[in-house]
Amino acid sequence: MALFEATHLHKRFGDQVVLEDISLAFEEGQVSGIMGPNGAGKTTCFNVLTGRYKPDRGRVTFDGEDITGVAPHRIVAKGISRSFQIMTLFDEFTALDNVVMALPSTRRRGFDGLHALDGDSAAQDRAAEIMGRVGLKGREGVNAKSLSYGERRALEIGVALATEPRLLFVDEPTAGLGTEATARLTDLMRELKRYTTIVVIEHDMRFLFALADKISVIHWGQVIAQGTPDELRANRWVRRSNIGELANA
Amino acid sequence: MTAMLSVEHLTKTYATGFPSRKPTFTLAADFTIEEPAIVGLMGPNGSGKTTLFELITGSNAPTSGRVLVQGRDIHRIRTDERDRLAIHYHQSYQVRHFRSLTPNFMLEKAGSDYPIVHLFDEPQFNTQDGYIGFMLDFFRKLRAQGRLVFLCVHPNERFHLEILQEICERFIFVQTGSVTPMPDYASLIAHPPVQAYLGDLLTERAA
Repeated sequence: MALFEATHLHKRFGDQVVLEDISLAFEEGQVSGIMGPNGAGKTTCFNVLTGRYKPDRGRVTFDGEDITGVAPHRIVAKGISRSFQIMTLFDEFTALDNVVMALPSTRRRGFDGLHALDGDSAAQDRAAEIMGRVGLKGREGVNAKSLSYGERRALEIGVALATEPRLLFVDEPTAGLGTEATARLTDLMRELKRYTTIVVIEHDMRFLFALADKISVIHWGQVIAQGTPDELRANRWVRRSNIGELANA
Repeated sequence: MTAMLSVEHLTKTYATGFPSRKPTFTLAADFTIEEPAIVGLMGPNGSGKTTLFELITGSNAPTSGRVLVQGRDIHRIRTDERDRLAIHYHQSYQVRHFRSLTPNFMLEKAGSDYPIVHLFDEPQFNTQDGYIGFMLDFFRKLRAQGRLVFLCVHPNERFHLEILQEICERFIFVQTGSVTPMPDYASLIAHPPVQAYLGDLLTERAA
């Protein structure tokens, strides 16, 4: 059984069908990609999977438990995290504080969390342990803005890990990124994959082909194709496209 | 066996003027598709392709005639369930809305969750990304599942014709409101009005 499964999701707004019939399964430890052209239903799909919208029909399960229609904050509490700003750091804060702020125990305390945590040694220890895991031992007290390029990347991974997700949903991570930043993001996500299960919703085919273990192509509110990057690349029309030329080069 | 789709003596007339209304456009169609298939629909802009789709899905009411989807009169089905029999995937968000005169409680339930007839209105085909291939595979999958697929294309590039030739088993040509079914690609491109419509696309070599 896959860690996360959606079966026969159907969603309409008024007289418009937005999701006709979507079934998806995300395996533990993999990066699953959801890809589709503009207007295909990707964002609605994301919102149904993460609990923001309740589907009109169909079922969503996480680790065997039915979470269809469960409120987003309850879904987060079960270990499903949605990330919109995976590469955002607080420059004026120390590396350690960046990680501390992302810890679930800090987040539960609300806006004043960091302040209240000054004396919370359990949180400090946990953050220090994550710093060690991403190779930043000894750099805890350095402000984020003073870290090198590579160290910042490592810290970003640490921040994402600090939220302790069992499943991380990432929506359109390449939006607004140039070629170089996209390449950097690809590396970061590969690194994250060692620690958690990831679902990426993305229209950039090239990015997903480089990253995902399995890709589902959505169009007309339906899964129109599914497979590994190699399987999808084998398609005659994909080979003929820019993506194909790149892949064959 | 009941036909997948019967379009029986269907007409739709648009008229303007007062007090005497003059018809400005008439669409007339009469054809039957017995088996699951992928049907290519082509014709110039304004010829009535989208109106034909609207009549088949029941969003637009005919002036006369009827549309049967596996024997069910689409215009006798509850308006909010007609897309469970025949669904129109629009070419954009510019969806025309029509008022239904019969209240839903007087109409029949569709009795189906997933549509039987799928009408794709000018899908975005471009060779830059690879989505075309996934779309074509999806049309084939629907057909293999026993459904009827309409693919409306207004060919303006050579590869649009390649797509139609590759995937469609039969064709319908629409011009100034007249609807002509064609059994295969060869008879389509042998039809003089189609030749006139496609013009250079038929002679150009693929780029």
